[in-house]
Amino acid sequence: MSYEMIALILFGSMMVLLATGQRVFAAIGFVATAAALLLYGPGAIELPFNQVFKLFNWYAMLTLPMFIYMGYILAESGIAEDLYKMLHVWFGRYTGGLAIGTIFLMVIISAMNGLSVAGMAIGATIALPEMIRRGYDKVLISGVVQGGSSLGILLPPSVVLVLYGMIARQPVSKLWFAGVFPGLLMAVLFILYIYIRAKLNPKLAPKVTDEEVNMPLREKLALLRAGIIPFAIFFLMTGLFVMGYVSLVESSAVGAAAATLAAIAKRRFTWPVVRETSMKTLGVSCMFMWLILAALAFGSVFDGLGAVKAVENLFIRQWDLSPWTVIIMMQVSFIVMGMFLDDTAMLVIVAPLYIPLVKALDLGFDNQLIWYGVLYTITCQIAYITPPFGYNLFLMRSLAPKEITLVDIYRSIWPFAAIMVLTIVLIMIFPEIALWLPEQMKVKG
Amino acid sequence: MPRFIAAYVRAVDRISDYVGYLAASLIFMMGGTLIYDAITRNLLKMPVHWAVELTQFTLAAYYFMGGPITIKNDEHVRMDLWYSTLLRRNRAKVDLATIGCMIFYLAIMLTGGISSLIYAIQTNEKRFSIWNPSVIPIKALLVVCLVLMLMQSIAEVFKHIAALREEKQNEL
Repeated sequence: MSYEMIALILFGSMMVLLATGQRVFAAIGFVATAAALLLYGPGAIELPFNQVFKLFNWYAMLTLPMFIYMGYILAESGIAEDLYKMLHVWFGRYTGGLAIGTIFLMVIISAMNGLSVAGMAIGATIALPEMIRRGYDKVLISGVVQGGSSLGILLPPSVVLVLYGMIARQPVSKLWFAGVFPGLLMAVLFILYIYIRAKLNPKLAPKVTDEEVNMPLREKLALLRAGIIPFAIFFLMTGLFVMGYVSLVESSAVGAAAATLAAIAKRRFTWPVVRETSMKTLGVSCMFMWLILAALAFGSVFDGLGAVKAVENLFIRQWDLSPWTVIIMMQVSFIVMGMFLDDTAMLVIVAPLYIPLVKALDLGFDNQLIWYGVLYTITCQIAYITPPFGYNLFLMRSLAPKEITLVDIYRSIWPFAAIMVLTIVLIMIFPEIALWLPEQMKVKG
Repeated sequence: MPRFIAAYVRAVDRISDYVGYLAASLIFMMGGTLIYDAITRNLLKMPVHWAVELTQFTLAAYYFMGGPITIKNDEHVRMDLWYSTLLRRNRAKVDLATIGCMIFYLAIMLTGGISSLIYAIQTNEKRFSIWNPSVIPIKALLVVCLVLMLMQSIAEVFKHIAALREEKQNEL
């Protein structure tokens, strides 16, 4: 049997098994171990277990549980309520102001945490009810919260980029910096979209006029204090890391500790919160870690097959595709797969195939793999929010107020998904958007 | 469910819970160690050379000890596009048909783990570093956790069968 055939059978059987709804880690682990034993004989029996030690050396993995913990604590700590009040008063009087303020809120939350869950929870429980009360259009604001919260994985710190960095063997710090401008660009595009929609049809986003926002300037300035804690957390985490005082992993622990202190100061760090948070953190971390462990086994079986060479050969030599055509094909297939697959699964299954291919292409600039990391992350964002399978969709359904139906949620995401695709296109045309900042920074990973 | 099987399921569920609670508390230990390291290095100028390795060990212990409870609480992600539309009984049927995959994977992990542990004991294997810790304790812990995960998986099989029977009785 040819290697291409074996690779195809491996992928095919895994897809079928995944579709049955069995746990993803079990499906991947099963295909990997069965293939290892069939292809390499009983000598491969230690192969799946040995991945534990490979994962051991992926030290940056420690940021994962830290950021998950931090996200849950931030959502519980009450920091977000204060921030929202501030943005509400400062932006409320402008066209589409509350929706624009929500995007700002999401950017601030994203700068403090590496996942989209925290932003989602905060947006759906704090920002949404307030905007509905003010007569904002349900479909518009549901999209605002979903699109905005997905910035969490693009703006540093980002757990998705940590995972990508380990698989592509790229320094995490560079990847994080590469995400800054694309993330801000996307936020600006979101804001422009909201502003234009609200200008064209003011009924979508009525101005807030009551005295709630018409307070004296002194009180308004006092509200700015809400920004102090988030700024302090951001500085302690990313600042100390960039200045070289703490390592990447330590910075995530510092962030977790800072969020904990903020929660203690606000008297929200009660025993039920501690218990809930640590159990949820364990659940989500274990889910990720076992998935990665199984995928590593799959990856090392796959490496042995030389499937990458086969695909490369097909695309570049036989079909004679230009490097950009290959990249575009990969992105399109990623987006289509992202609609059906969970993003971690997508990364760990498809990355072993795609990353070496990106490395082999000549696009005419340096740091191709850093640049591709940003493209990949935006693809993940799209996957998060597009039906039928999206983390954010499910979270939104469970967190949002009752007035917002599933149909509203489905209808709301298309413009935001389109903006994300636009951002991808812009970064493809101008790779400097992603690469300028990391090339200016000389930091250790 | 026969009484001894019910007792087995209850016992395994409880062990998984307690091991899981212990695992959940390790997040504070990992965070604490990392911050301790950052402080001693920057403020006291005394690097703690064992901190990195200790947290690596702890992370492995964290997700292995969390393994049984996350199987029990069904916290592992599924591609549930089709699965989520099924009735409870049909889900149990699908799970019964595919849970063997998880048991097979975990069994091979356990076999590999045991052989790796035996090798570590025979050669007194150590991590090659300044701290130079023995890997026997962590490997032993991982093997124990794999046994617990297998026991939990088998408990899940019993639960699925029970779910099927219950529904049948309700129909009668």
